[in-house]
Parts: sequence; structure tokens; C-alpha cells
Amino acid sequence: MDLHSEILLEEYDGLLPVLERMYTFVTELLEHTLDNNGIEVTSVRARIKTRQSLAGKLALKGSKYTAVTDITDLLGARIITYYTDDVDRIAAIAEQLFDIDWDNSVDKRRLHDLDSFGYNSLHYICRLPESLIKDADCPQLNTIRFELQLRSTVQHAWAAINHDIGYKTGVEIPREYLRQMNRLAGMLELADAEFSRIRMAITDYRRRVQKLVSSGRLDDLQLDGDTFSNYLLTEPFDALNKRIAAINQAEIQEVPMDAYLGVFKEFDCHTLGDVSRVFEQCEEDAYALARYQLGNTDIDIISSAVGVQNICIVHILRQGGGKIGLTRLFNAINGNNAQNELLAEMTYKQALNLPFMK
Amino acid sequence: MTTQITTNGNQMIAAFAGRLDTAAAVQTAEDVKPLLDATDKEIILDCTALDYISSSGLRIFLSIRKGAAAHNSKVIVKNINDDIRQVFVMTGFISLFEII
Repeated sequence: MDLHSEILLEEYDGLLPVLERMYTFVTELLEHTLDNNGIEVTSVRARIKTRQSLAGKLALKGSKYTAVTDITDLLGARIITYYTDDVDRIAAIAEQLFDIDWDNSVDKRRLHDLDSFGYNSLHYICRLPESLIKDADCPQLNTIRFELQLRSTVQHAWAAINHDIGYKTGVEIPREYLRQMNRLAGMLELADAEFSRIRMAITDYRRRVQKLVSSGRLDDLQLDGDTFSNYLLTEPFDALNKRIAAINQAEIQEVPMDAYLGVFKEFDCHTLGDVSRVFEQCEEDAYALARYQLGNTDIDIISSAVGVQNICIVHILRQGGGKIGLTRLFNAINGNNAQNELLAEMTYKQALNLPFMK
Repeated sequence: MTTQITTNGNQMIAAFAGRLDTAAAVQTAEDVKPLLDATDKEIILDCTALDYISSSGLRIFLSIRKGAAAHNSKVIVKNINDDIRQVFVMTGFISLFEII
């Protein structure tokens, strides 16, 4: 190694404490910012270039650098997103957070010719502005540049495998295999775009569902996980639960009600309108059942599922489902076990005392 | 009212005996504290000798379930008598616990 490179390595040694401080700051800042913006990513990673790696770089092109701070990836951070369009979203956030060295930043996604595919990643060269961190005793915190790489999981997978098989050199691999890698890059670019498109379509679907549920057009909505969740958000069983709670001035404990989706499907409900009709037809008897059960107790806590549970019990019994139907209900909401037959038996006996069973 | 907590491999077992009513709830809530921090366990609430459960008792069961959910543990309620079974059904908590 020549004298110049050795001097640069000594500079690096002196900068290590600053780089370590930047490493911690940048990593925490990125994680915190992504969290605040509700962006889920595959990973946020950072690394400080090792002395060995730097020595290798200097051995190859040390003369290119006047000072070690000319090297822009002494600190490197990488965010791997689930979706390719999140890369642009995070890039916009990075532009607001950091001072970007535009001359040295590169969007490799835009470098490809129309007929070429390959490494797709956005590389920003950044500085920490004083508005983020300032220490009069350590001005390098704001002058040392670091690299931020942004890419999707699919792009990362391609880049990692490509690197592993040595394609990077472009000479060791026969042309036939290079072409296959390129072909794969094109396919993955398409897959990336499809994942984003599907996410957008699902988001649109959920928005439409919300709109239809809140507008009360329940017959237009097929019963599925999304529509049922949105229906539950409108608290359709809330008024019944409050009436039941009033029997003993009980508090209502919120519990999940997802298990009832399968129950309503078993009732042959195809739309939310069907669910709503079951509710309307059984509400009064469901309340009567609760009053019969709770009326002579001092129980002052109930779950938010008690209303829908009683609706289902009443519906089953009205349809002639009897103890077998109740057992199936308890199997659906309590898991399959032999005790559910006892629960069904008890509930059936109680219900026999109510007007709708006579 | 007594509460006995034992560990058996991946299981933590709380065996209740007596009447879990308002008077017994304060001591029972103290006794079950080890269950609240159990991580990656199967928590068995053995009710073989439990005669009665009040709203206060239900609240203790709910706190155990909440602690378990936060620590990736699972709660199973075992061998409840008919009266207690009825309490779980009429309060709608049957869907919250695995009752065997």
C-alpha cells in the first residue's frame, strides 16, 4: 500500500468514533421515521465500512481520493421495502430528512436502456443537517457523507444472488447464463410492479367496502373477511350489547368477533345484508335469552361478543338446528372439544323456557 | 380459596380450589401474578376444585388471558363445573378462552 493510502487509513481510524455515532443516529432515525409514517419494511440495516474493506478499495483506486471523507460509503444504510413503490415514498422522506448530495446520488432504476434489465436500486449520498444533530465539538457529524440504499425485497434478492454467482464481473460467466440472469431481472421487475398493483387493488377494494358498509348497501357486499371486519367496525351489535349490559349494569369487555364470520357462512349468509337480516329477526329473542340467563345473577361483566353469540343461538334454534346446531356453534367459537356438547345441552335447556321455543 | 401454581415442562398450571368470589379475588390476583409474565407457555387454569366464579374472578381470568396474549402464551380453562360453564356462555367469554 502506498503512503497516500496509509494516510487515508489513519484518517479513517480517527473518524471511527464519529462514524459509530452517526451509525446509531441514522439507524434509529430511519426506524423511528418509518414507524411514524406507518411504512412496514423488510429491514433497515447499516454498516460502517471495515478497515480491511477500505484498505482493499484504496489499493485499487486510492489515488482517486484526496481525503478519506471523499469516500461516500464509509457509513452505508440500506432499507429493503416490501413494495417497489415504497422506495419512492421513502426516498421522498429521505430528501426531507437529509441534505442530499445530488451530484453523487444515483437512481439505478433509471439508468437502464429500454431493452435492458438488471440492478434496480436508489442510492442517495446524504449528510446529516444541523437541524437533526449538532455538536460544536464534533462538526464532522454534519460534513461526513453516508450512503442510503433503497430497494425492494425482490430487487434485493436479485442483487444478492447476482452478486453471489459473480455476475458482477461480467467476464466469468458465459453469455448464455448472463442472458438468463437478465431475463430473470425482467421477470422480477414485472413481479415487483404486480405486487404493487395488487396491493393498490386490494386497498381500493377495502375502501369501496368501507364506503358501501357505511352507506348501508349491505346486500351489495359479499360476505368475506374484509367485508365482515368493516361491518364489525360499524358496531352492529353495540346497541344489543348495551341492552344486555343494562340488565346488571355490567361493563362490556371488548373481544374479537372474527370467529363469527364462519358461523354466518354456515347459516348460508352470502352477503352482509343476509347477516343483517339474521340480526334483525333474532335481536329481541337474543335479548330475552340474555335476560333469562343473567337476570338472577350479579354478574357485572360481559363480553362484546355476547350479543352476536345470542343472535346465533336464537337463529340456530329457530331454524330447528337443536343441540347439534348449538354444538357446531360452540365448536366454531370455542374450538372443537367434547365439552361443547355439554354447553349446547345447557343452553338448549335454558332456551326451552323462552317464548320463541314454545 | 387456594391457588396452587406448578410448572410442568412448557406448561404452567394454576389449580384453583374453593369459591373465587369478590372476597377471594384480591389474594387470587396476587397468587396468579407469575402467570402474567409467562412467555411462550401453555397456561392451564385447572378448575377441577373450583366451585364458583364471580365477576371479580372472571376479571382475573381475563387479566391472565391478556398477559398471555402479550407474551405469546396460550390459556386453557380445564374441568369447569356446570355453573361456571354457564357463566362463560352467558357472558360471551366462551369465545375468548379454550375451554376443555
